[in-house]
Amino acid sequence: MTTMHHDDSFDLTTVRDEAGDPRIGIVGALDWDTADDLTRTASACLGADPAPRRLSLDCARLTLCDSLGLASLLMIQRRAAEVGTLLRLLNRPPSLQRILEITGTSDVLAANGAETGELTPPEPDRATTGAPLPPPQT
Amino acid sequence: MSSVGASWMRAPYPALVVDAAGAVVEANTRAAVLFPRATRGAWLEDVAPRWLTEAHRRAVADGTDSLGHVGGEHGEWSLEAYPTTGSDGHVVWWLVDDTDRLLAERALRSEQERTAFLADASSRLLASLNTERCMEVTVELAAEYLADAAVLVAPATGKRHPLATGTGGRVTHHSLRIDPAMVPGLAEALQGFPPVPSRWIDPAALPGWAVPEGFAGPVGSVVVTPLPGHGVSAGALILLRRSDQAVFDASEEVFARVFAARAGAALSAARLYGEQTGITATLMAELLPPALRQVHGVEFAGGYRASKDSERVGGDFYDVHPGAGTDQETLAVLGDVCGKGLEAAVLTGKIRNTLHALLPLAGDHGHLLRLLNGALLTSRHTRFATLVLASVRRRGSATHLRLTSAGHPAPLIVRNDGTVELADTSGTLIGALPEVRSSTTHLTLRPGETCLLYTDGVTEAHGGPLGDTMFGESRLRAALAECAGMPAEAVVERVQMLVSQWLDDNRHDDIAVMAITAARTAHLTAVDGHTAGRYTA
Repeated sequence: MTTMHHDDSFDLTTVRDEAGDPRIGIVGALDWDTADDLTRTASACLGADPAPRRLSLDCARLTLCDSLGLASLLMIQRRAAEVGTLLRLLNRPPSLQRILEITGTSDVLAANGAETGELTPPEPDRATTGAPLPPPQT
Repeated sequence: MSSVGASWMRAPYPALVVDAAGAVVEANTRAAVLFPRATRGAWLEDVAPRWLTEAHRRAVADGTDSLGHVGGEHGEWSLEAYPTTGSDGHVVWWLVDDTDRLLAERALRSEQERTAFLADASSRLLASLNTERCMEVTVELAAEYLADAAVLVAPATGKRHPLATGTGGRVTHHSLRIDPAMVPGLAEALQGFPPVPSRWIDPAALPGWAVPEGFAGPVGSVVVTPLPGHGVSAGALILLRRSDQAVFDASEEVFARVFAARAGAALSAARLYGEQTGITATLMAELLPPALRQVHGVEFAGGYRASKDSERVGGDFYDVHPGAGTDQETLAVLGDVCGKGLEAAVLTGKIRNTLHALLPLAGDHGHLLRLLNGALLTSRHTRFATLVLASVRRRGSATHLRLTSAGHPAPLIVRNDGTVELADTSGTLIGALPEVRSSTTHLTLRPGETCLLYTDGVTEAHGGPLGDTMFGESRLRAALAECAGMPAEAVVERVQMLVSQWLDDNRHDDIAVMAITAARTAHLTAVDGHTAGRYTA
């Protein structure tokens, strides 16, 4: 019988992409212990003068993202918007995609930046299109 | 007689020549200093210590080779004596003054004992985070190793000072209104100032409370030393010795301070921990989920299992706000706050209070969520909450629900035939983004049907045969299919039981579930002519 061993290592690598903009590779779990690291690293990239045109987070080797991990991504998105940088979440694993969809953040944290957000367009407000209340019983 | 030369007289080590009968033949200059009366012809036993006289007798009888060397005290000196055989049966005693070495060895031994004591004291002091126990250990150790009795005066809580006194292995606690100025140096020590020298304190002037009951005999000497805490004083320690014991010397006073520094750190940690657990307990009491009940023909049942990391106040919550009358909607909320600990607890409290205040606006979930989001947004962080709102009203046998998810797993509906449906609602999490959107779904429950609200602690529970599989939504749906027609309490218990079994002993996040069930046997709870017979299914 084999048991699954979770690799606890967490690592962030910042490289320049072909356009010279920062690209942070995330390896491991983004959670209580590690979320602050990512916020700091990304904030350092966004704090450059001038701010980069875009910032990419490569999630190909992201193993888990909990609520604090998501809070970190939202904080990075907020800071990116403040300095006019386009934030991209590349290579999102299905588990991350699912969290973004449940929490309604997939259009803000889009694969190709907030402007396009082609993966999950905002859903229509069903409150106006939903089934009408059944008539009261008497 | 010149068995030795003039240079021998000036040798740097004492040497003594003694004949076989035990009479001194000659002593060199150094030996003359040690034994001033050892002149030629004097009997060794009259001028030298007994151990040397006896060693000489054995050296004469058995030969110097078999004797080796001997050692002993002589006045304030400690000496080693090496015999060699001289001419005419004389024995030459070569003496080495090892007083300094002995003193150094003694000092080393005492240092080693102190180090061992401090190591032992540290481990005993740090073994407990209970303030009283920590005071006890401090007093016990001090009374056992440093003094005949010890009194620990903790900083005043209100107008009284907690005291721990110990002597003869017994420790007692008191809480007394005392005037620290009665003991010289105590008021200063309680403020963290350095201790006053022991010789300045008059033992006879000590107040009664400073001498523990059962202290045998008058107090001979006193040391008052501060217990330094983390930034603030953790109290002061009074050490007492009986008058028949040696008074505290300077090195003992210094050592008492070293011990007090460790005791102070331990006490301070215990006190901080006590304050922290007090705060956590207060918050927990405020955040505990409410007991749920039947409201206007609808059963509400909730279950909450906090994460095993018990020091962390949980992030899951639920509430039910009953409608004012049978024709008013009841609002149920179940949510999950990002993170753990006090920050999560504070955010949870804020959400629950804000929602309570926004109850009159619950007619439009989207509007309510936008207001809540605005109230929670802060520039400092992006900690967020996800939640589900359920507005419930029963009309006759039909229970109408408006359900809205704000970034939360959608509720599941259990129909009477065992089918399980996913509520068609979704939305944005609350508290992190400037704009939120949501979609509300409307549905109807027949008597016996249930809507289950849950947090992801249920679906993300890691367990199973190998302990590494998530419980998942499909297992939850399968479990719910078997709950068709059950009362709300039973559904909650069933789900909790299955998740507990799945988890076994694995670590888990907070787990919260709430069942909203249309009651099967609704009785008339209000009869006002309009509503008569409304609940008969």
